[in-house]
Amino acid sequence: MTNGIPYSEALGNYTPQRFREPSNDPTKTRDLLEQFHPDYMPDSMTTLKVGPNQGDICHKQLADVLQSDARIEEADLAGANTVETDILVVGGGGAGCAAALTAARKGAKVILATKLRLGDSNTVMAEGGIQSSVEKGDTPQMHYDDTVKGGHHYVDKPLAAQMVMDGPDVIRWLIQQGMQFDVDKYGDLLTRRAGGTSAPRVVYYRDYTGLEMMRVLREALTNAGIEVWDYNPTVELLSNDQGHCAGAVVSSLKNCSYTLVKAKAVILATGGIGRMHLNGFPTSNHFGATGDGLVMAYRMGAKLRDLDSFQYHPSGLAYPQHLAGTLITEGVRSAGAYLLNGHGDRFVDELGPRDHVAAAILRECEEGRGVQANETTSGVWLDTPGVELRNPGILKSRFPKLLQLGRKCGADPTQEPLLIYPTLHYQNGGVVIDGNGCSTVRGLYCIGEVCGGIHGKNRLMGNSLLDIISFGRKAGEHAATEVHGRPHSNVSTEHLSELRRQLTLADMPMENQGPMLFPDYAKFETDSDYDGLHKAK
Amino acid sequence: MSETSEQPVNLTINSKSITAPGSLSVIQALWHVGYPRVKSVGCLEGVCGSCRIMVRRADSHELKMELGCQLLVEEGMEVIFLVFPNPTHHTYQLEEIKNSWEVQDKFHQIFPEADHCRHCGGCDKSCPKGIEVERGVELASKGRFSEAGELFIECVMCSFCMTACPELIAPNHVGLFSRRVTAYFHIRPSNLINRLEMLRKGDLQIKQ
Repeated sequence: MTNGIPYSEALGNYTPQRFREPSNDPTKTRDLLEQFHPDYMPDSMTTLKVGPNQGDICHKQLADVLQSDARIEEADLAGANTVETDILVVGGGGAGCAAALTAARKGAKVILATKLRLGDSNTVMAEGGIQSSVEKGDTPQMHYDDTVKGGHHYVDKPLAAQMVMDGPDVIRWLIQQGMQFDVDKYGDLLTRRAGGTSAPRVVYYRDYTGLEMMRVLREALTNAGIEVWDYNPTVELLSNDQGHCAGAVVSSLKNCSYTLVKAKAVILATGGIGRMHLNGFPTSNHFGATGDGLVMAYRMGAKLRDLDSFQYHPSGLAYPQHLAGTLITEGVRSAGAYLLNGHGDRFVDELGPRDHVAAAILRECEEGRGVQANETTSGVWLDTPGVELRNPGILKSRFPKLLQLGRKCGADPTQEPLLIYPTLHYQNGGVVIDGNGCSTVRGLYCIGEVCGGIHGKNRLMGNSLLDIISFGRKAGEHAATEVHGRPHSNVSTEHLSELRRQLTLADMPMENQGPMLFPDYAKFETDSDYDGLHKAK
Repeated sequence: MSETSEQPVNLTINSKSITAPGSLSVIQALWHVGYPRVKSVGCLEGVCGSCRIMVRRADSHELKMELGCQLLVEEGMEVIFLVFPNPTHHTYQLEEIKNSWEVQDKFHQIFPEADHCRHCGGCDKSCPKGIEVERGVELASKGRFSEAGELFIECVMCSFCMTACPELIAPNHVGLFSRRVTAYFHIRPSNLINRLEMLRKGDLQIKQ
């Protein structure tokens, strides 16, 4: 893509304006997606050959890791320590913290193991806010309808219904943990609109909602007697004689050894896949988002869904290079910011569903109406000076993080528009769960982005922060009740022998090993600091 | 938007000599030259506080504390990654504070060192977000928690101030305590409470 309008020329032609004509583009969502959305790129999908979803369509890069060989051999575990706990939570983002806190308060012994540090997650970066129908003109029914419609009707309806009904109580629970929200002069929660919502419903704290949530949950958790193992990536689950999940193999980046954790229940809260950089896209995701939980759950026999559906957030920063992929909250568009092509024209309803808006941006760039920053980088304008012109002071009071991002770009968003391009943001599909977060494998719970169904094939802004807390609490509570008084069972890696048998039968290559743990540019597999934890071959 | 330099610059990171384009962050520069880095990398957006680095620039003897995902490499820069400090010894649960009249008393029991601030300015100097940390501790000490908490809005809990404080005050945790008690005792939105009441009475149902 080098056919756009040169950056300096486009910027020279730009002046902030109070009003610009809305787009009258009649293109239907379906047509736009089929032509321009990365999920529809020819040759990016394949059919799974082994496992519970055999025969289903799946993104090629994801299929490679789902059908990869295990990282460990039986021999790796011979000298491993064994530790027992009631519940093992894998993952240190918002979902994992909510589950661990709830389970521990119910009296369960909880270990939380996380690949990076507690709180190094996508949660901490969430800016826009959290959906909860609290306004007079809004109802849980409207929240539900928006969620189902936004997900293109692929939504697991009972899950969505349960989540929206739980919304207000999730906010109350967060306030009780000490989380602040922005309120008006009477103390009422302020709300804003999100793309695809029929009422203002997103409650928030500035554009730091995730940061505020994460630092509060981390503080609550470390004060609640929960054992936290940081820099401890989980590499495999353990099964018992009945094929139920009975623990996990956790590796330590601190002393380069494996620990067998026997747990009566395992709660996977490992997040998404952004750092797999599907189709070569930049990502807004944190460093650890490599789909580890999906791979481990699939090997245990957990059913997955919608493995061909990913969210590309419309407003990732396109330029400068060191910040490419960084997210700019949808809140800026919901505050009225236009999207403009290189000619200064609006080309889409800025608050349409994320997939529609992202596809429209890709269309502008592909058809030569984008802004060309250099040979490989193009994008469209996010018209932040226009919002500032209409509401003086709004960027400073509502979007401090955006202004800080501007400083890092060497640009002032109140004066100069920012160049944006879609960024790989969210895995819509994932592990099939019920209302308590139970997967189809007994003893294995999955919560947060690793799950599928709640958001169908397209998630609305603010529904993810809601889902992680809502289902996190449900899973923590259910698991704590389930494990009460139950004995530990014998653990093995028997399911891995079955995996290898199936891979051989299907004539699949065995060179690939998963889970990924880290993106390849981190050079984990060749780093001598971690000798002993590298892939088996 | 100013042109960011694509010119290669020379610097040292953990005493390794590195040449990388000036448009890269410290962490990207490591990746660029193929040096492994797994620990001290997190959100890559400057909000998780993992990539703590100590920096000396070519034109100054001063040591600065920064975040490695946010700082662009410069000619002659020396960078050292710092490990994360041990967790603070302060522990508390909000439920232990029975009502809002007791907050100030409890605060001094939980953070007894907060009163001992020497006003050395170490916390302010070490904060990569430019927070007025010392003033925040002083305000919290006087029981002005809501005001103190406001100063810590951008705090990412990188704990530089904790490392810098000779009195072991743990200023970032003081800031977070201030924010948490403000929410816990004073955020009571009537629109939320009303909605919870309607839900409790079963007035709102979902038709699937």
